[in-house]
Amino acid sequence: MKFKTTLVAAAVMLICQVGHAQTAKEVAAEMRQMREDLRQLRAELDGLKKQKNQEPSAAPVVAAQVPSQSSTEASAPVKAASNPSYANTSPSREAEPVANAVNLFGYGELNFSRLKNSIASSEATARRAVLGFGYKFNDRTRFAAELEVEHAVVSRNDDGEVAFEQLYVEHDISDGLSAKMGLFLLPVGYMNESHEPTRYYGVTRNLVETAIIPSTWREIGVGFRGLQDSGLRWDAGVVTSFDLTKWPTDSAETKESPLGSIHQEGQKAKAASLGYYGALNFDGVPGVNFGGSLFHGGVGQKQTVVASTGAQMPSPDASVTLAELHTKWQVGAWDLSALAAQGWFHDVSAFNAATSSNGFNNPVPNQFRGWYAQAAYRLWRSGDYSLVPFTRYEHVNTAVSYSGVFPGQVVSTGPDTKVWTVGASYYLHPQVVVKMDIQKYQNNSDLDRFNMGIGFHY
Amino acid sequence: MFRFRFLAPLLICSTFLASCGGGSGTDSASTESMSGAAQLGRLIFEDPYLSASNTMSCATCHDASIGHAWPDANAAVASGGPGLNVKGLRTPPAINYLKFNGAFKFDTDGTPRGGFFWDGRVNTLAEQAKGPFLGPAEMANADASAVIAKLRNRDYAEQFKQVFGANIFNDPNAAFERVAYALERYQIEDKDFAPFNSKFDAVNQGKEAFTPEELRGLVLFNRVDKGNCAACHPSTKPDNAPAALFTDFSYDSLGVPRNLDIPNNAVATYYDKGLCGPERQDLATRTDLCGAFKVPSLRNVAKRKRFFHNGKFTTLEEVVDFYVTRDTDSTRWYKNILGLFDFLYNDLPSDERQNVNVTEGPYNRSGQEPALSVDERRDLIAFLKTLSDR
Repeated sequence: MKFKTTLVAAAVMLICQVGHAQTAKEVAAEMRQMREDLRQLRAELDGLKKQKNQEPSAAPVVAAQVPSQSSTEASAPVKAASNPSYANTSPSREAEPVANAVNLFGYGELNFSRLKNSIASSEATARRAVLGFGYKFNDRTRFAAELEVEHAVVSRNDDGEVAFEQLYVEHDISDGLSAKMGLFLLPVGYMNESHEPTRYYGVTRNLVETAIIPSTWREIGVGFRGLQDSGLRWDAGVVTSFDLTKWPTDSAETKESPLGSIHQEGQKAKAASLGYYGALNFDGVPGVNFGGSLFHGGVGQKQTVVASTGAQMPSPDASVTLAELHTKWQVGAWDLSALAAQGWFHDVSAFNAATSSNGFNNPVPNQFRGWYAQAAYRLWRSGDYSLVPFTRYEHVNTAVSYSGVFPGQVVSTGPDTKVWTVGASYYLHPQVVVKMDIQKYQNNSDLDRFNMGIGFHY
Repeated sequence: MFRFRFLAPLLICSTFLASCGGGSGTDSASTESMSGAAQLGRLIFEDPYLSASNTMSCATCHDASIGHAWPDANAAVASGGPGLNVKGLRTPPAINYLKFNGAFKFDTDGTPRGGFFWDGRVNTLAEQAKGPFLGPAEMANADASAVIAKLRNRDYAEQFKQVFGANIFNDPNAAFERVAYALERYQIEDKDFAPFNSKFDAVNQGKEAFTPEELRGLVLFNRVDKGNCAACHPSTKPDNAPAALFTDFSYDSLGVPRNLDIPNNAVATYYDKGLCGPERQDLATRTDLCGAFKVPSLRNVAKRKRFFHNGKFTTLEEVVDFYVTRDTDSTRWYKNILGLFDFLYNDLPSDERQNVNVTEGPYNRSGQEPALSVDERRDLIAFLKTLSDR
């Protein structure tokens, strides 16, 4: 009940911002004007391309990409633009039909964190560096990949990790309908698909979209996306799912992110039970987005053995459902957003009953959920520089209830985690940001911390 | 404006740092009481009537005042059974800080790690807790039903039903599982099992300082060319604990001398070979692991009355001397029943003595001077005494 009440309060807070209607109208008018300008530029560019293709000496082009301001996916080759200085550099004829075929992009972030009550736990790390690359086969078919290195060093004795976050081929079936096949990010929430450090507030990613939505959440499969002139965007697909046999005995790990602890990330993913997702978003009003998504997938994977203990797997048909709603309103200097997500594990009682005697003190929860509301305000801007303070309130519980536990079993149904984050992003350029924030955990001051970091994307 | 562009991050930074209060921390000792299961675990841990002799409890062999270690300096092993006249095979290990241990496994490079008992033959605290109830040289109950039959008559039986269900005694096997679970929760939840309040911890927290001897001892402890103790007893904090545990829960074959105080060792052909048996059965064919026993935590090591799996030594000084002179003064350590030199690594059969660690310091000194001088050993012991919880 408290959860619902707080959600309503957050919604009211957002609705109250409608009082800035005058500013919204101005922004809408500005957006319309920009759209018109963009249409004119596109027409001119098309004319120039036609003219160039008619020239008999037209040379193949392999060009670098002008940095994109849109999401990670938008960094794929489809958005590539030419750079004249690279023209005539390749004698090959293979790329002739497509200008700007190769596309490089990426992002990085380096963080420092200092716990208020534990100086010894202060840590600085090159959190992640992502090298993205793509290739545009023709106007309708393209490939994209993101290779990520976490924590700078990867070796047997280090905690670093190297992973392909994305590796897929995308094809435009028709105007407004595309298909994607491979390892790709699921369209869930805001951060999962758009997680470059310049695109979110706070030094670290928000709690809800890491603990409940296991960002960066990618699966292998097939997905479709449709775009309509009205601004409606839909997604649907069939992908791999999670693997419950990986459920670790370490309660800290499963409390941090139930789904994150059993994700498969495209590495020899068990695929006896698949996942199905759908998402709907509305972008038809400038500066406004709202939508939601639903995922359901098998996690038992028809397995017979629990990998972490070697014991018999008692829940081969267990599954999980994750639902999520989100909204964002960018009006004038304001950037307001809210998101709520809830997950349910199904048929895990047998797993919990059987593993309680095998060193598991962390049963699989029936439910896990969280929400946040965030407000940011562009306080100052001069050229490429800008300063954007923000605040965010989060409310998360990664283990709301359990089934299959015996009377007297000690399970961690602790209080919800409630976090205030207050900080600022200082942009040296729209693609380079210096961030600082303070996080206050309302029911565990040991986790209170100061963070700072730098992030960039290109 | 130009100036502000570059000053802004500094201003923000200084504001945040100020509001962080410099990070000075206060102890956040938990005041939460233990769960119902853990409270029952404490009662069971201290209850001698759950043994066949009615006189032996978990606490008999695991004395809380010395880090839950074996308290009798005059005996290498415990005597249990219905008449307390059956001698055990190994010295009961200290069981504090074990909640940070995990299931037995082999690392990717083949290093064995984790597990409980000296040979890691079970994977959880609960599984370990069941063993002594039924061990013939320990509490010597016939089976789970015998334990539960005794428990039903205890004054906390009603509390047991309240926590684990009114019908729990109808299924003695399930009830015995709950007994083990209660003991596991007790070891996890009672801070006495992992207090982290030694002088070493106080120094790490900036509240105290080492004496010059202790500081020199720490350096010797860590130096690869000296004590090299940290190779198996890391003095740095692991990811899963608030401070150093002084064990990596791995296994090593040290060539500890045979202890003839253990009755089984009177049989010349009997060898306790740790990981490869005979107590543990599943690794019997891994002869390369014979002689390897679990590396214990060195927290509270100065309080222990007996050292190593067979309780061969009774003082910390003797232990440190053994480490650094095992291969430089072997005649001191390997003696037969007449007190004469026996042979190297005399608690292993001849074809398995090659497993004894002779490549790492401080053991790699055969034919040389010991890795630590007498003064250095004194400093090392001074440091080890800082690991005692207070």
